[in-house]
Amino acid sequence: MAGGGDLLGALKDDIFPEYPKTIVNIKTIPGLDDIKLEDGMIKIGALATLADIARNPIIAADAAALSEAAGKASSPTLRETTTIGGNLCQMPRCWYYRKLNNRFNCVRKGGEKCFALAGDNRYHSIFGGMAFKTAPNVNKTCIAVNQSELAPVLVVMGAKFVTTEREIEADAFFSVGVMSATVLGPGEILTEIKIPVGEYSRRCRYKRFAFRKSIDFPIINLAISANSDGNYRIYLGGVAPVPYRAANAEALLKGCEMSPELAKEAGDAAAAGARPFEANAYKVQLVKTLVKRELLAM
Amino acid sequence: MPNDHVKLPVSTSNDREHQSDIMPNNHERQPANMPNNHERQPANMPNNHEHQPAGATTVPLTINVNGKDHSLLIEPNLTLKQVLQFHLGLIGAKEMCDRGACGSCTVIMDGKPTLSCNILAAECGGKTVETVEGIAAIPKWKPLIDAYCKWDAMQCGYCTPGFLVAAKALLDKNPTPTEREINEALSGNICICGTYPRHSQAILEAVRKMAEEGDI
Repeated sequence: MAGGGDLLGALKDDIFPEYPKTIVNIKTIPGLDDIKLEDGMIKIGALATLADIARNPIIAADAAALSEAAGKASSPTLRETTTIGGNLCQMPRCWYYRKLNNRFNCVRKGGEKCFALAGDNRYHSIFGGMAFKTAPNVNKTCIAVNQSELAPVLVVMGAKFVTTEREIEADAFFSVGVMSATVLGPGEILTEIKIPVGEYSRRCRYKRFAFRKSIDFPIINLAISANSDGNYRIYLGGVAPVPYRAANAEALLKGCEMSPELAKEAGDAAAAGARPFEANAYKVQLVKTLVKRELLAM
Repeated sequence: MPNDHVKLPVSTSNDREHQSDIMPNNHERQPANMPNNHERQPANMPNNHEHQPAGATTVPLTINVNGKDHSLLIEPNLTLKQVLQFHLGLIGAKEMCDRGACGSCTVIMDGKPTLSCNILAAECGGKTVETVEGIAAIPKWKPLIDAYCKWDAMQCGYCTPGFLVAAKALLDKNPTPTEREINEALSGNICICGTYPRHSQAILEAVRKMAEEGDI
């Protein structure tokens, strides 16, 4: 456990079918909270707190969107203790998953069914669920979304995540599994985030939509970046179980001059293929509008 | 008929079942994770080991609270908030949501505002903690507390210590905040009575007063 923002609440609420016997404090590992510029990369230790990231001058200079995203996560007090590693590895906020006393033993906890499919899914995925194995030969689907504040920004910037065992591209890091939201294996921990400094990190824009300005998870967040050749990268959070790449919109925008009509088309393209459930169709319109606005503001 | 007073007007064949309906065993009714009664006793009860789960051992903790060093033996499952209350008798930091979402339990740890419900006390070894009691005892902060009273920046008062500690942490870093900066710094605290505008008024006035007195 590092900042404890995710795990401590989950333990207090007794949401797991089984308790861990031991919790290891990784907060005291020296050097794991450094933020430095090295070999053209911003290197952020996984234990760096969101507040440290939000006020760090190196990040503000070369990856301002990351400062902005970190400065909007949760609340100012909570940002002092919660870490970037925890923000990336956090479990979903699905209310069935989080219900007190393991009331709903859902597929993400190794259970039989996803309660959000037939239940209240107003905050869930609009791009379908993601299948994973809960047991050998048993495939299940979870439709809870990834609500990490920093994930879309880091993926757009082309970050690399270093773990104790390997180095993973940011967009390959997120996954869905039993008690897991990443591809990390047992005993493997995230140690460092490396962001290549360049056009994608400097020109990145971040936008979140949430009901409250503070102490709230984003309903939708997105990051957009482009290089000078007109190659765009657009990733959306809060719409799918992992950060969602708006590939249609990227293809449409490639090499084009921005105009209000094009931005609108790109917004529509970003939402193409959305299959909302009965309670979350509003997110489709949010995606269209946010993408359009952010493209015009670039 | 000694049991008359507990019987329902409509009598059924199974009296025993009725009795258990009417007079539930209070102990069983409590949700599993409620603190038991021992924990609820006034705070300065000495180290009460009865509320630790089976198999848990105590761990030593050295912590500086409000300028005083304490060496304690604590249960590893306690949050900092619970240690402040049950071991040190400091009830200023309040437990409201207990999930790090409301800010009522804010304390200042090593100069940073920290949510004491969202950190295990066992991790806080060697840290310096300042609670609302410590702030209230320092004459320098009297204008802040006076301003809170004058502007009546509270209704039920349960969230007020958290706001006050967050305000003090802000003024430590930024002695002359604007209203916007105050609102931003206090945005991690929730007041269900809705006294938010009064907090910024009170803090702005305290800042003026402290500047006049030359405290900052």
